[in-house]
Amino acid sequence: MDNIVGKKSSLSWAVNISVAVLVILWLIPTIGLLVSSFRTADQISTSGWWKAFNSNEQNIIVRTANPQTQKIIDGKYVIEGMLFSSEKEMTIRVWGVSSRAIDGYIPGETAKLTKGGEITLRGDGHYRMINENPFTGSRGMRVFVTAPMAPEFTLDNYRKVLFDPKNVEGMGKAFLSTLTVTIPATIIPILIAAFAAYALAWMQFPGRALLVAFVVGLLVVPLQMALIPLLKLHMHIGIGKGFLGVWLAHTGFGLPLAIYLLRNYMIGLPKDIIENARIDGASDFKIFMKLILPLSFPALAAFSIFQFLWTWNDLLVAKVFLLDSSGQTEVMTAKLVELLGTKGGNWEILATSAFVSIVVPLIVFFTLQKYLVRGLLTGSIK
Amino acid sequence: MKKINSLVCVTAAFFAASTALAGNVSVFGPWLGGDQENVEAVLDGYANATGNTYSYVGSDSFEQQVRIDAEAGSSANVSVFPQPGLAADFAKLGFLTPLASGTGDWVRDNYAAGQSWVDLGTYAGPDGKDNLYGFFYKIDVKSLVWYSPENFEDAGYAVPSTMEELKAFNDQIVADGSTPWCIGLGSGGATGWPATDWVEDLMLRTQSPAVYDQWVSNEIKFNDPRVVAAIEQFGAFARNEAYVSGGSGAVSTTDFRDSPKGLFSSPPQCYMHRQASFIPVFFPEGISVGEDADFFYFPAYASSNLGKPVLGAGTLFSITNDSPEAHSLIEYLQTTEAHEIWMARKGFLTPHKGVDTSVFSDPTLKKMNDILLGATTFRFDGSDLMPGGVGAGSFWTGMVDYADGASAQSVADAIQASWDALK
Repeated sequence: MDNIVGKKSSLSWAVNISVAVLVILWLIPTIGLLVSSFRTADQISTSGWWKAFNSNEQNIIVRTANPQTQKIIDGKYVIEGMLFSSEKEMTIRVWGVSSRAIDGYIPGETAKLTKGGEITLRGDGHYRMINENPFTGSRGMRVFVTAPMAPEFTLDNYRKVLFDPKNVEGMGKAFLSTLTVTIPATIIPILIAAFAAYALAWMQFPGRALLVAFVVGLLVVPLQMALIPLLKLHMHIGIGKGFLGVWLAHTGFGLPLAIYLLRNYMIGLPKDIIENARIDGASDFKIFMKLILPLSFPALAAFSIFQFLWTWNDLLVAKVFLLDSSGQTEVMTAKLVELLGTKGGNWEILATSAFVSIVVPLIVFFTLQKYLVRGLLTGSIK
Repeated sequence: MKKINSLVCVTAAFFAASTALAGNVSVFGPWLGGDQENVEAVLDGYANATGNTYSYVGSDSFEQQVRIDAEAGSSANVSVFPQPGLAADFAKLGFLTPLASGTGDWVRDNYAAGQSWVDLGTYAGPDGKDNLYGFFYKIDVKSLVWYSPENFEDAGYAVPSTMEELKAFNDQIVADGSTPWCIGLGSGGATGWPATDWVEDLMLRTQSPAVYDQWVSNEIKFNDPRVVAAIEQFGAFARNEAYVSGGSGAVSTTDFRDSPKGLFSSPPQCYMHRQASFIPVFFPEGISVGEDADFFYFPAYASSNLGKPVLGAGTLFSITNDSPEAHSLIEYLQTTEAHEIWMARKGFLTPHKGVDTSVFSDPTLKKMNDILLGATTFRFDGSDLMPGGVGAGSFWTGMVDYADGASAQSVADAIQASWDALK
């Protein structure tokens, strides 16, 4: 009796658990990225993000004050000071003065220095160095400290990506360039695809089925194959590299999916109302504008989310069709790659920029998401 | 409203830029971030000297993008190639314009080991005739071993000056309970390249430069016993459990950008790191080169009679879209000013003999440049000269396999097979 309509399946707990597991699995990388975006480059390279929240014991190297600050007290040379800046409270567990024995002493003990003199270190980081002869050298001495450290987070990465005076102007410009690419590259294919989908769904003409099959076939053509021939064509007919070129490219690459999605949705609309409208003397254009477009809104919204996200995140098409040698048309993705440096590897910038560039797509997604599921199911169920 | 205005501005800028202005030179190169600021400082110097304007665009995927642009005919005036191998391919396909006559003579007269720089920039054109296509500017020295002087001091170590000493030094560090080397081969899609530098350096230290050249041009096979021996020499360092921080299993999985950090950790994970002159970019924050970190020349065998070979790499400027301004930029790069602007900044070495080396921003750069100028043999990074499928393909992956435990002979056989397949 399990399959009676309206009765919950006895296995619904399994569904719930697997959904929960899948959601967590999907979220883990995102959370890791978010945590990493608040950590410094050195923290990222030395410990995993999941360790960011516990206070854990760390070995660090700090320096005493410069020998130039030494004073003469009772005929001896003395350097005094604090190893840590005042806002950080730390309690040292063990310490040392040589990289060979970083845990040679406990707080309060006095260590002999190889270059002469001695140093006494208290648990709070206060130290005192005494020597019969003057301390020499251009810098302070290294002290190796082992202490539990409170978790530490920083906003510096966000400051660097968003407000660094060196790239704040470029970033603003890149943001506008991205919008200049994205908005027309979303609207143009939807316009064309809506007309085409109506024609393929509701207008009778010879070869219609073949045309649909052809469009579906185009779905599997990888866009990488078309990059060079298309750019050659653009150069040849005088469009060159620039916004016009990238709009056309995005339109071309987006159209097969758009037409396919919208046609499948439109063909599922009730036949009666369209035939009624025909009998009442409405032209195809009128039917399209007054009936089909309003009824297809979920599918249009779903596709515009797809297309928007894809053009927003796009780097490849922008690099090929947009970025010319003038450097004036840089999009955000290209700008972020630039921040990563010549040899890459600035993970903290990568994590941060991921979250910076995700903001606008998230806004778009949440405003249109109620249509997304409806639109996604287009054509799959009637 | 303001937004709309700036939108209009951007669009206007795009249309203005797409119609090439008179007296503008566009430059496309591999430099981003800090290096981009440096190259733009040099280009500012060019703009001041000539009254022309410039535009520079950098890319992290230079190799792919420059090809797309060349195929489609949308290249910048001047492209800066990181590998001569790629430039040679381009010359053959007719994408490059030969440099003005006389440039070769200038390089021969003004660069240390001038003839070798001319040879490295000379390729066969589409008609099969040799021309000078590339002008070398900005060199990296690769035969360097980085270390922390204070850690050496704490342990009472001295810098080894011959390969024999270095090998004894390895054992001494292990006997003292520490680890001598940090080696990391990870580099995303280019994983393995740091090991190719090791093998090239060891080739130069065990074989004559002539053999090295034959190896690079495949006149002697990759699976020749002499090459296999050089790979095994690398294995003596990287495949010895006790020699490498994290054990030999960590070599191929550690990122090359992270591996030098072990020099500066507390306690130090390793004492030495062999890497090119650019590596200080990846040192932890606050490490100052010359004080916290220093380097020595990766030593040669005292017993062999091969002098002091130096392995290096460099970028070359080529004209990918002919214009008078492009030629004037190459001319400007022949002035000492063009070299000194970047010397006063960061990470720049030059074989130009006429420059004032006192303008180097820090003394370590001067020390590196002295290694470069004092080399008895200078050889270019072999993997950059080999065909892309080998030098940027099977050689990399082969070295990862070797680091993970495959035998040197089988790895060399596989690389040679991939080279044969390209012919």
